[in-house]
Amino acid sequence: MLRASSKAKGEKYDLTLLTGGSGDGNIPHGALLVEFAEAVLDSNDPHLPTVQTEIRAKMGDAALVDSAAIAATFNAIDRVADATGILIEDAKAEATADFRAALGINALAENRGEVADPRTDR
Amino acid sequence: MITYAKSVVAVRADIGQAHNAAWGRIARAGTWFDGATRVAIAAETRNAPPCPLCKRRKETLSPGAIVGHHDSLGALPERVVEQIHRIVSDPGRLSRQWFDGILASGTSDAEYVEIVGVIATVVSIDTFCRAIGLPPHPLPQPEPGEPHRRRPRTAHQRGEAWLPMIHPKDLEGHLDTDEERALAKYWGGIPSNIRRALSLVPEEAYAWFQLVETQYLPGKWMRDFANEYRAIAHAQIELIAGRVSFLNQCFY
Repeated sequence: MLRASSKAKGEKYDLTLLTGGSGDGNIPHGALLVEFAEAVLDSNDPHLPTVQTEIRAKMGDAALVDSAAIAATFNAIDRVADATGILIEDAKAEATADFRAALGINALAENRGEVADPRTDR
Repeated sequence: MITYAKSVVAVRADIGQAHNAAWGRIARAGTWFDGATRVAIAAETRNAPPCPLCKRRKETLSPGAIVGHHDSLGALPERVVEQIHRIVSDPGRLSRQWFDGILASGTSDAEYVEIVGVIATVVSIDTFCRAIGLPPHPLPQPEPGEPHRRRPRTAHQRGEAWLPMIHPKDLEGHLDTDEERALAKYWGGIPSNIRRALSLVPEEAYAWFQLVETQYLPGKWMRDFANEYRAIAHAQIELIAGRVSFLNQCFY
């Protein structure tokens, strides 16, 4: 979806932010939002209050709430996907094959002993 | 009753309403479990992160090779505790073999789905609280009532997931249950596999995505890149979503 947004907006976002790249990636406050996602998921991360304060100061309270809602959604939706073993749809697999390979995302599926491209498993 | 009155940031009213609705559903009888069991599943979900067995498994290459007992609250069978703890603690390495083992231990596929629905609800709302700087809400008190135990005949195994799912084409024509009729009305079009993932228990599929759409975006807004609907832009939304999913090692 980030790449779809990038294409639609005609902006070139740095997708390596998803896998640990640094900087804003041409997304406003990109580095801060990545830091927020990481702090939310790590229950031992002592920096979360600092990041929350920074988001409120730079982006506003509503941005913190909506950022929190997104992190909350995907921290759970990932578990639904993984616990049910759903395959990525053919169209999505085809549309994202190049950048999944480039970013090393396919390794996540291979770590589970599954195929990266579900079309080869039918 | 969930309230965000003590939050230092104003929480959107629709989020508060969605969280209240989700909390109420946990307390009431579902499709396969009564309210007391659903609340016990929610409690065990919260109890999973510090479990020593889960921590040892998380540190190894092959989590299944580490045997032992989970540090549980004792209210649920071990097979249910195993399902909850693994989904909470190490979701990126769940495997078909592990899933088959859960079913072989006595949990039905539909019960499995309902448990996933409760876990997802609790993880999501607890994560939201942490992300805005609040402690977790107290769990709801169980309400009386019995589960209706209706399995949708429209759910089939098509090799798209470990579990049978309902396909929109299954929902054409006569439907046996209110749950299937509700899902047919709600879906429209061809939903993604993630929307269908819990459809073996239609109420869970429907309710879970009510929460998702409130916290994230309704389907029609997701790809409407010409307009912004939240206080953060599409790119910022998808950046957070993508980073969270990568950290969770979620391929989907």
